[in-house]
Amino acid sequence: MVSSNEVNVLEAPVLVMVPCYNESGAVAGVLRDVHELGDHHASLVIDDGSSDDTFGVASQLSPAVRLVDNLGIGGAVQTAIKYAHREGYGFCVQIDGDGQHPAGELATLRRAYAEEPANILIGSRYIEDEGFQSSAARRLGSRIIGAWLGLLFGQRITDSTSGLRLMDADAIRFFAHAYPYDFPEPISIAWALRHGLTVREVPVRMRERHHGSSSITGPKTIAYMIRVMGYIALARLERVQENRMRRARL
Amino acid sequence: MIQPDPQPETLIVIGIFLVSYILLLVRKTLQAKLDLYDLFHLSMVAVLPAAFVFFPRLAYAASDLTGVAFPFVLLYGSLFLVVFIFMHRLSVQNHRLQQRTRVLVQELGLLREEMLRTKDPVSAPARGE
Repeated sequence: MVSSNEVNVLEAPVLVMVPCYNESGAVAGVLRDVHELGDHHASLVIDDGSSDDTFGVASQLSPAVRLVDNLGIGGAVQTAIKYAHREGYGFCVQIDGDGQHPAGELATLRRAYAEEPANILIGSRYIEDEGFQSSAARRLGSRIIGAWLGLLFGQRITDSTSGLRLMDADAIRFFAHAYPYDFPEPISIAWALRHGLTVREVPVRMRERHHGSSSITGPKTIAYMIRVMGYIALARLERVQENRMRRARL
Repeated sequence: MIQPDPQPETLIVIGIFLVSYILLLVRKTLQAKLDLYDLFHLSMVAVLPAAFVFFPRLAYAASDLTGVAFPFVLLYGSLFLVVFIFMHRLSVQNHRLQQRTRVLVQELGLLREEMLRTKDPVSAPARGE
């Protein structure tokens, strides 16, 4: 289902969603990079209940939403998607506030959409194996999840955990209504595929994160894999809810 | 099978527990700290053992009827079922409340941003078409 391709992605306003949690040291650099992209890009920072001055720093440079409690990455991203939906954006892009995603890659996603539209375009660091590649364990995890998605939905995703992604109006409508809160990146792909949205990957380069560290380490990795694969399986079993799609179309 | 009548001390202890616990639950319900479902489920913790103590023959009949060798197994099974139903309901409620809290936190953040933007329209981002 791609119906937003009538909009010229190269000229339409794009909301750049920057979810942050204790990223006061990195968010300013990320926002400056976004601002250099030009007038078509409007940024929105979602401060996910940080205990540092992320909101103070971000709100000097960009519109920012402060969540009074930490909802996790899924809750923060959905807040920005709701904002995009209400403000009528035809496209939004998610980039992480830790500096891992070069803002210049947003142009790569826009060009890729213009050439071949898809409701969700994922920036994959594993198609061309360039730039920062993450650890071997993470890569293995991403491959397993990608294979699981391929098995259940018939579409292999090389970088299912990538947070760098462009969504068009249909995806915005869908995710404004329902978005996974826990480990949202791979699960949101499963939900999207299950409900008929199209997903495509584009090769991008990523950087090592400037600040902070991943919350998924050690034994949590196993719990992460089990939960993600379980939710993906549940998405496959879910009956396509016409009501959900209908509500999302409103 | 021997079906001894309960000792008076047992009846008194269980009776006191039943009455005081039910009174406590009713009081909490009247104070709106519990709802009627909670009152019903939690009271089973006292009502079921009391039923087995006050009516031992009924307990043996029920265990015979269900094919359970000992009435106390039936008692623990019944209590487990009640607790399981209670926990199931709590889990569903907890999940629903979590979802509502998330939505409220999101809406509060968006509303605050909108208010700030209305006050200071210069800082507003380029609108979507």
